[in-house]
Amino acid sequence: MAKKIVHKDIVIIGAGMAGLTAALYAGRMNLDTLVLESGLIGGQIANAVSIENYPGFESVSGGELIGILQRQAEKFGAVIDEFDTIKKVTLKSTPKIVETEEHIYECDVVIIASGMNRRKLPLPEEKTFAGRGVHYCEMCDGHMYQNKIIAVMGGGNAALDAANFLTKYAEKIYIIHRSQFRADEVTQQRVKKNPKIEIMLQTEIKKLNGKGRLESVDVIDKNSGEMKNIALEGIFVNIGVEPNTQLFKDELKLSDSGRIIAGEDCCTEIEGVFAAGDVREKKIRQLTTAAADGTTAALLAEKYLAKLKA
Amino acid sequence: MVKLYGVEGCGWCQKTKKYLDSKGVAYEVHDVELNAEDAAACEKLTGDTAVPVLTVDDKNYVLGFDKAKIDALLGL
Repeated sequence: MAKKIVHKDIVIIGAGMAGLTAALYAGRMNLDTLVLESGLIGGQIANAVSIENYPGFESVSGGELIGILQRQAEKFGAVIDEFDTIKKVTLKSTPKIVETEEHIYECDVVIIASGMNRRKLPLPEEKTFAGRGVHYCEMCDGHMYQNKIIAVMGGGNAALDAANFLTKYAEKIYIIHRSQFRADEVTQQRVKKNPKIEIMLQTEIKKLNGKGRLESVDVIDKNSGEMKNIALEGIFVNIGVEPNTQLFKDELKLSDSGRIIAGEDCCTEIEGVFAAGDVREKKIRQLTTAAADGTTAALLAEKYLAKLKA
Repeated sequence: MVKLYGVEGCGWCQKTKKYLDSKGVAYEVHDVELNAEDAAACEKLTGDTAVPVLTVDDKNYVLGFDKAKIDALLGL
């Protein structure tokens, strides 16, 4: 079946904090706005249990916060499609083309807010144990570990929050991290005070063991070099993220870390193409800075569109 | 009947539900957090401890949200 050709003022790629904020602003400026998301609406915070550093909210779940933002964006006319996956983008042409499974979107502006993907556990046994002891979604799979011994791998806020959340189910949780914690002090104190959590810093998982399902892990203490075997039934992996820029690698300059190079004005090297949120190379990546990027990108996109139509 | 094993707060389970709704597919939800029998049945079916799981006959299933596989399973 031939793909339907549709024109849009703005196509926003990604429906995380940056993308939805851009959609809200673009919608309020009466621009014909489409948001495409192939993962979860909300991106990295979609499954976050509790967010305590977003201004105006003492504590809010990722789902609740993003649900409010989605409703705001849709109220002002933005359309969000989470089932039509992008196959290809052509950014240097006029108009710019975003081709999905079902459509060819021609547009004047593209805002890339495709965010980050959770990094997979870099061990050869990962594939064997994925879903059978190795997990990436605490909210989805945590309940399967009632009264079990499990581990969380990682040392950032997301990892420590995951460990705290999982104490609701598990009998004991190891937090295994190869260096020192990067999480903020409040979050660190919370896990340190939790009697169900044992912290293993400077420790690296070297091997996963089990017949059919995960039964134990071999770890190395990086200070002493001592190897140890720990019996456990599950690992929730939170070892960071990597930029979701595969679609753009032939179109835009990427940094060494794979992020899109764009200034604080979110403008990339191609006129009318903006990069917003964590996918943009920058020093600070927080929900608040993602919202700021979404705002900047949408407002400057409107100025660009006005200039085009003048 | 299409059966969806899932958990209330799971984003991928919600996305699967939205997709089935968008296609007009009727289904029943089995919450594996609230019902131990459903949890056991789900694990027996897949051998995994992960959701969402979609099945039509308790034999063939799709684990996770995979649109192409769901379409194939349900003949969409």
